[in-house]
Amino acid sequence: MGVPFEALLPYGIMLAMFGITGGGLSQLRHMQNGGKRSRHSVDQWDRRDKRLTGFLRGQTDRPTAPPGFELNNPWKCESRFY
Amino acid sequence: MSARQPRFNQHVLIDTTPLPDDMPKVQEVGASSAPLMSASFFIGARCQPYNDDFMKCKTEANGRGEIDCMKEGRKVTRCAASVLTDINKHCLEEFRRHWECLENNNQQMWQCRRMEWPLNKCVFDNLKLEKVIPGTPQNEEQVHLRKRQIYANPWMAGFSKGS
Repeated sequence: MGVPFEALLPYGIMLAMFGITGGGLSQLRHMQNGGKRSRHSVDQWDRRDKRLTGFLRGQTDRPTAPPGFELNNPWKCESRFY
Repeated sequence: MSARQPRFNQHVLIDTTPLPDDMPKVQEVGASSAPLMSASFFIGARCQPYNDDFMKCKTEANGRGEIDCMKEGRKVTRCAASVLTDINKHCLEEFRRHWECLENNNQQMWQCRRMEWPLNKCVFDNLKLEKVIPGTPQNEEQVHLRKRQIYANPWMAGFSKGS
C-alpha cells in the first residue's frame, strides 16, 4: 500500500512557498550587503565608509584618503522648533 | 558636547570651503572600518605617545578640543597613515585576508583569530610591532593568543598550531 501523496501535496506546496520566500529574502539581503553577511551595530566609523567608497559596505585599505574626502562631510540642518 | 545629534533634518549641507592656507595640510586616513579595525593594535603600538598627547589635549581643552588640538591631531593622522603604508608594503596578503574575514563577521575580532595569527607574526617580523591588549592582568594569557576561542563560530574556533 503506497504513501497517500495527494494528501501530502498541500504540505509540500506550503513548504515550497516558505522556502522560496526565505531563499528570496536571503538572496535580497545578500545582494544589499554587497555579497557579504549582514552587519548590526553600525557606528560612525562604519558610516564613514560610505563617504570613502560610495557603499556602506565598501572597504579600502589605502593609507590616504582620495582628494575630495576632507570636504564631503555632510552637516544635517534642522530647523528650530522651540 | 551636550547637544544631541541632529535627527529631524530634511536637508544636508556640504561645505566645500577648504581650511585656510596657514594650517599645515595633512591627508586623512583612507582606510575604511575593517582595515582600521585590523590594524588598530599596530597603530596603537607605534603611535601611543601621539595618541596620548591628543587625548590629553582634548581632555584639558574643555570643549574647545576640535580647534585647539589640531597640531596633535595632525601628528596622530600622519602616524596612523604611516602604519597603514608599512603594513600595505610588507604584509598585504595577510592583512587583506584578515580584514575581509572581519568584514564578513560584523567586525568581531574573536571570529577571525585564525587569520589574525599569521598577520601578527608577519607584522612582528617586518615592522617590529606587537599587539598587546592593555589592561590584561599579568598572570592571564592575552585573549588573542589563546589556543581555543570559546565564542567564535564553530568552523573558526580553530586550534592554533603553536604560532
